[in-house]
Amino acid sequence: MAVSTRRLQKELTEIKTNGTPVGIKLLQADNFESWFLSIEVLGDTLYQGEVFALKFRFDSQYPISAPAVQFVVDDYYKAPVHPHVYSNGHICASILGSEGWSPVLSVISVCITLQSMLAFAKERKRPPDNDGYVIRARAPENPKKTRFVYHDDEV
Amino acid sequence: MASQSDAPVPQSQNLNDDLNALSVDELDRLTQNILDETTSTRPLLSETSPLSVLREEYERGSGTFLKQIDYLSSKGYTHLRRARGDGDCFYRSLAFAWVESLLTSQDSAFDSSMALSLLESSLPSLEAAGFEGSVCQDFYDELANLVRRIASPGPNEPPLTPSTLLEAFQNPEISNSIVVFLRLLTSAAIRADQDSYEAFLVHPETGGPITAQTFCENFVEPCGKEADDVQITVLTKALNFNIQVAYLDGRSSDGTVNFVEFQIAPPAPGAPPPPVLLYRPGHYDILEKH
Repeated sequence: MAVSTRRLQKELTEIKTNGTPVGIKLLQADNFESWFLSIEVLGDTLYQGEVFALKFRFDSQYPISAPAVQFVVDDYYKAPVHPHVYSNGHICASILGSEGWSPVLSVISVCITLQSMLAFAKERKRPPDNDGYVIRARAPENPKKTRFVYHDDEV
Repeated sequence: MASQSDAPVPQSQNLNDDLNALSVDELDRLTQNILDETTSTRPLLSETSPLSVLREEYERGSGTFLKQIDYLSSKGYTHLRRARGDGDCFYRSLAFAWVESLLTSQDSAFDSSMALSLLESSLPSLEAAGFEGSVCQDFYDELANLVRRIASPGPNEPPLTPSTLLEAFQNPEISNSIVVFLRLLTSAAIRADQDSYEAFLVHPETGGPITAQTFCENFVEPCGKEADDVQITVLTKALNFNIQVAYLDGRSSDGTVNFVEFQIAPPAPGAPPPPVLLYRPGHYDILEKH
């Protein structure tokens, strides 16, 4: 059995047995290639009342390699307006890159990190290079193929 | 990848130039070349190749390197086992050398069962460091399985041999899981004894101070982050495993190679000398005598 399958089965069992942390819901996990979860930030924050969906994609080397994670952008879900989130849903967060990812992290720990990234946001705006990255269609389909320059060290 | 060559030959105008004459930038580029050229093309760990092959790679380059390689030959070293230059080479080389030493030990049944109990007893320390047990188990299993196949192979299980050991280390799932386990073991040992280690920790990029937690999260646990002396000291101690590191760095004025011992326990009488890892700037391989 692939390493990724073994690990994801454990994560799924853990979620089904103990549930998810507050504000995080499992939307879909019916295979070991991609999962969908929703996150919302509770309390008095810039994103009060908004629910966002995250798409996780795993290769066979997960959790040794990081999952590809992005916010879902479709008719129903939008990417949060945040200085580290591009309007196409790509996220610039160091834990999702090879620099910051570690095999002890999990789907849920990524959700928690992104939740706190939103909770501590000081203003609703896009990254300064959003138009260049998204609109001129230079963004690869998979955010793992982008070498992000992290805008600050807070995430 | 700029070059098709398999060799990290310094592209210097002056054939007698050596690394001393290179700027920090040039050294970095050279190191990067080793990494780029070896990433994804080489096996994660190779069959051994004669030291003469390494020598040929430096023939057009640094005189100091050649003298140092000749020095290694004069000391009886004949072969090199290369690890892929993916930033995990220290952990991978060390793991291989460790299991190989159990396999070739004169009392391998005893030594490997001792090693197995050492591994088992490390699991609580990983949990104490904050790593979830079920998460560590997958990585632990791959290394423990190899050791167990020496100590007490199951009825339908082929015992470990030098060639099946190499196969295991060339299999990305097994090999990378073992690398991760050793990284977690290293991290847990640093976290468990933060006060002792923090004084020795420097930020690998800025050279400034760094907390044990940040060091572990950013430079020990993630794959692809090369090990430095602290990690080597901590890990050899955690595995109770003596090694030597030979520094082939092109910086020796008399062509000798500096050997540094990471010695945890006094070697048993009559025990073979500890395995030697060969360090070149930014990279580790295994040096062997055949």
